[in-house]
Amino acid sequence: MPRRLRVSNEFGDWVVEVSGDRVSIPAANVEFHIRAGADGRIHLEDPDGELTGTAARAGGTIWSAVEGDVFASRVQDAAAGATTAGRGHELLASPMPATVVRVAVRPGDRVSAGDTLMVLEAMKMELPIRAPRDATVAAVHCVEGQLVQPDQNLVDLT
Amino acid sequence: MIRRVLIANRGEIALRIVRACRAMGIGSVAVYSEADADAPFVAAADTAIPIGPPPAIDSYLSIPRILDAARRAGADAIHPGYGFLSENASFARACEAAGVTFVGPPADVIARMGSKPAARAAVSAAGVPVVPGETPATQEPRDFGDAIARVGWPALIKAAHGGGGRGMRVVRSPADLAEAIAAARREAERAFGNGELYVERVVERARHIEVQIFGDREGRVLHFFERDCSLQRRHQKVIEEAPAPTLAASVRDRLTRAAVAAARAVGYVNAGTIEFLVEGEGDAARFFFLEMNTRLQVEHPVTEAVTGVDLVQLQLQIAAGLPLTLAQDDLTIRGHAVECRVYAEDSRRLLPQAGRLVRYREPRGAGLRIDAGVREGQTVTVHYDPMIAKLIAHADTRKAAIDRASAALREYDILGVKHNIPFLLALLARPEVRRSAIDTRFIDDHLEELSARPSDRHLHAAVALAALAEVRGTAPQAADSGAAAAADPWQTLGPIAW
Repeated sequence: MPRRLRVSNEFGDWVVEVSGDRVSIPAANVEFHIRAGADGRIHLEDPDGELTGTAARAGGTIWSAVEGDVFASRVQDAAAGATTAGRGHELLASPMPATVVRVAVRPGDRVSAGDTLMVLEAMKMELPIRAPRDATVAAVHCVEGQLVQPDQNLVDLT
Repeated sequence: MIRRVLIANRGEIALRIVRACRAMGIGSVAVYSEADADAPFVAAADTAIPIGPPPAIDSYLSIPRILDAARRAGADAIHPGYGFLSENASFARACEAAGVTFVGPPADVIARMGSKPAARAAVSAAGVPVVPGETPATQEPRDFGDAIARVGWPALIKAAHGGGGRGMRVVRSPADLAEAIAAARREAERAFGNGELYVERVVERARHIEVQIFGDREGRVLHFFERDCSLQRRHQKVIEEAPAPTLAASVRDRLTRAAVAAARAVGYVNAGTIEFLVEGEGDAARFFFLEMNTRLQVEHPVTEAVTGVDLVQLQLQIAAGLPLTLAQDDLTIRGHAVECRVYAEDSRRLLPQAGRLVRYREPRGAGLRIDAGVREGQTVTVHYDPMIAKLIAHADTRKAAIDRASAALREYDILGVKHNIPFLLALLARPEVRRSAIDTRFIDDHLEELSARPSDRHLHAAVALAALAEVRGTAPQAADSGAAAAADPWQTLGPIAW
């Protein structure tokens, strides 16, 4: 019996059907025939030819790679409905664990789109966090020198 | 002679130095921070000594801890690799004072070439052209404005004691000056412990071409030809190659002579690289001294590939007091080599990444060399440089080397962290790169196209693989997979089981 799954990543989400050695994405009119390769690799064949890739899970993320392109996806049962992960919300957060080296705004400051709100540092690189739109700073949730985690909200804009 | 080398570094370069030691019958001692306890270089060395917590300032940059480790391990030499303490004159001096041979040039040469203004003066005196530049009267923004007015806009604000593209900002208008100075100073203070800045004219539309040189204690200096490192992003090299594909023979001749003259003028000993900006084409090309790196370069493997010389072994021989036995005429360029730096980064958003390598398999093949410092299961941390590996392809022609590198990148499996292989592949496929019609701004100018959305075909195949992994590969997740992930974010259930 085919399994229907919803796969979401930064490029969109898809309903995928897995049935034996066939995997299809009906909305994209795509069907691959799957074949195991050497060393954990997988060959995917469709009328356009063959691609080689691989996949592995890390926690709630499934990583997959095809011919050098790499993707991090969430997979759930299609019945679970549309996912909201990473889509459209305004979380001003560090993409990775980082140190706050400068906070450039205070609550009440008016900022324009593109203004630097704060500067983080990770891996010896400075990462500016910029205002996504014209706004007023409602709250700042970190201080200079603080280590912050991904998905930790750093600043609220109204 | 050297009997036992302590490697004051980590990752791929530490492993590279262990291999050179082993080939020469020299003992190797790794030092490592808590973040690197399970790294391959620690396991590979004959001895490994923990030296502190993850922050580099308390471990790989701690001179007392490294010297203490050298004493305990009975090391008679220290190889600094690149980065960290490799261009720190105080460290070289402290090594000599402790009776340990520093594998590199004398401390006073490091100090002199490490000060950009002093280095520019030294090579200029040897007849080597330098990029027009100036040290402002004071470090106040107004004096930078005055200095730039004399040098010309746009200008580069650069760390006087920096290198490697850090502590550097381009300013195109006076309005940007104050912020550029502040950012460059912060970066310089953190990276080099010294926030002094100076100003250089921006040489637009130039290539970055550098000459590898070696000096011995008897005053002989050889060059090992050049590398073209023009494919840079924000002054960080991405792809390097040897030889430089567009360099006319007459210009190569003048360039390598200038490099040897500059090295000789400062009494250079051991491996060094003289970086130039090259402007113009063919026989009419002009070059300017940019800076000298008084250490082994990240991109040294492309020179090794085309000259057939192991540069790290040569470094150890020179450090042991042996003379250069090669003659300049013994050195020739064979074929073409390309190096791609594989970084843990989100190339689309241009951000470094961290994560656990849930799958890591290197490509293999003739003419292929992978210098990596990681293994499957290891975590790429936020503490250090995000480079995962260097992939070096060597072939008879430039086209064949690029084809070989591209094929290998497509077979390189790295899962668990976003990386720049898609970006590298996009870059190697560009017609401008194929015919080498590029300059140091090429990547920055074409960032959007190079970071484009993947093809639908690859995307669909990857989505299919993700679904397949869920069905076949792993135990069902808890109903709320997000909560399960939060409890153990890097829980690995391995690749798809068949």
